[in-house]
Amino acid sequence: MVRQFAKAELIPIAGEIDEEGRFPWEVVEKMGPLNFFGMQAPRQYGGSEIDSISYCLVIEEVSRACAAMGLTIAVHNSVCVYPLTKFGDDEQRSKFLPPLAAGEKIGAFCLTEPNAGSDAMAIESTAIRDGESYIVNANKIFVTNGGVADTLIIFTSVNPGDVKRGFSAIVVERGTPGFEVGLLENNCGMRANPVSSIVLTDCRVPKTNLLGREGDGFKIAMAALDTGRIGIASQAVGIAQGALDASLKYAKERIQFRVPLARHQAIQMMLADMGTMVEAARLLTLQAAHIKDQGGDLSGPSAMAKLFAGRTASKVASMGVQIHGGYGYSKDYPIERYFRDARATEIYEGTNEIQQIVIARELLKREED
Amino acid sequence: MNIIVCIKQVVAGDQVKFDPRTHRLVRSSDMSRINPFDLFALEMGVRLKKEYGGSVTVLTMGPEISEEVLWEALAFGADGAVLLTDPRFANSDTLATSYVLGMAIRKIGHYDLILCGLRTTDSGTAQVGPQLAEELGIPHVSGVESLKERESLFQAERVSDGYREMIEVSTPALFMVSSKVKIRTPSLNEIQDAFTRYRIERWNLEDLNADPQKVGSQGSCTWVEELIPLPQQKTCVFVEGDPREQARSLIKKLTEKNLVS
Repeated sequence: MVRQFAKAELIPIAGEIDEEGRFPWEVVEKMGPLNFFGMQAPRQYGGSEIDSISYCLVIEEVSRACAAMGLTIAVHNSVCVYPLTKFGDDEQRSKFLPPLAAGEKIGAFCLTEPNAGSDAMAIESTAIRDGESYIVNANKIFVTNGGVADTLIIFTSVNPGDVKRGFSAIVVERGTPGFEVGLLENNCGMRANPVSSIVLTDCRVPKTNLLGREGDGFKIAMAALDTGRIGIASQAVGIAQGALDASLKYAKERIQFRVPLARHQAIQMMLADMGTMVEAARLLTLQAAHIKDQGGDLSGPSAMAKLFAGRTASKVASMGVQIHGGYGYSKDYPIERYFRDARATEIYEGTNEIQQIVIARELLKREED
Repeated sequence: MNIIVCIKQVVAGDQVKFDPRTHRLVRSSDMSRINPFDLFALEMGVRLKKEYGGSVTVLTMGPEISEEVLWEALAFGADGAVLLTDPRFANSDTLATSYVLGMAIRKIGHYDLILCGLRTTDSGTAQVGPQLAEELGIPHVSGVESLKERESLFQAERVSDGYREMIEVSTPALFMVSSKVKIRTPSLNEIQDAFTRYRIERWNLEDLNADPQKVGSQGSCTWVEELIPLPQQKTCVFVEGDPREQARSLIKKLTEKNLVS
């Protein structure tokens, strides 16, 4: 179903929206009724709450056609809808989830700041309690979906003197006085996703928008990112698969030395490696999804899936460019888009190096047999 | 209103291959899908159910793998699904297939409408619909674009030879749907509901109380004796001149071949 939708609606526009850096509302409106925006929300709030393996397959198929839209739904579901579902109280769920699950509102996750990213505890934003409200000041950058998001989870400190204890997650809605969307990033890939900065200046937010309790922010961020990494790993698998598809097609069409490229053993070897890496990345990702569905410890498996799938996407897309030769370097073929899009999957939702830290920590804490 | 929709799993359009020895289609799950013509019948069935109430049951005959199209049909809005599967059904021609479907429909019992697609994309005989109606001894109309209830009858609209025909039929009846309605994409929730709410019934020869002499190769009165691939001639013609002349020349060539008018 998702593949059919992607073929009909996403493939025809993927190149154009990348070129124009345009968020395709006309397609987003069609994804809402198909439940693409409510995959991590319970049925009672209009979501579908599908299992993680199905979730991964949806993200993969969307990303295979258009990575920027894969990113939109992965971030919306994994790091906005999911933490609201898991950590929100009934009132917060009833208020925020139905429009998010229907795709009428878009969600975002705001952690990174100019001086904080991988080092989350270095955030400088603050939320000072004032009666029944918090006064939030924050400068958040590289916010995926930022330009179009309505419901944003802001990581901030309610105790500027002690960020560790004060680290908290607060839901802020677009339109709140003091809320401002900053400049859109002119990124090299995922250009149809409006990544922007979000600036909050003396933004008065009801205290009922606090997710969990004061000081729960780190726990919420890590839980969101653990599941988010499965989504991004799936996105990377989708990009890698798309790059492989494009390369297979090209290798069969392009004639050199009087035979199609695909008849040359050097090209076959590249295709074989690409196919094997894609399959390995997919299985690692689906294994992490399975562990999530079983309620197992997700940190290590999701970090491994994200690390390996991100590297696979970059490597496979790069090999795809090589197979395309000069045409691979031109904008006339989609492979260059996969090449640009792939690179981001090694950076966002935790860089490769952060994944390595998580993986090493998990490995080292295991007791010897 | 009880509606039965007969569907078939076919090999996707660009993947059709025949075994040169057996002359049979080569099938595998990764290249199979629901016959696109059957989707119109299913869509019409679901719409009629919404309009008049009742239920939609989907039927397919085929190997185990065919259950995939039944799940798809349940996601589209069907309420029940039956897989007619038995190694003895293999190699049935259209007549034997119609017999098996007919026996299954007799087992289901009460029904008002049977809807089929116009034909399949793989073998494309368009025979199973009419043969099934004959098997059951009920009227049938082919090429139906719309259906509505009129008192105790059903009115079918079909287009034929440049005329729009309105045909009234008593029920139960079989209709081969040739609709141009847009096929809705099922949502994730509908797909999930299909798997959580329903299960697929499996009926074999004994369940149907069918005559083994009337199914499979034994029950078939036709067989493919020879299969000769037709050579597809490809020629390449270079259109000369400046772009304007090239366009003019191309239009002329296409018009001559009746490819544009």
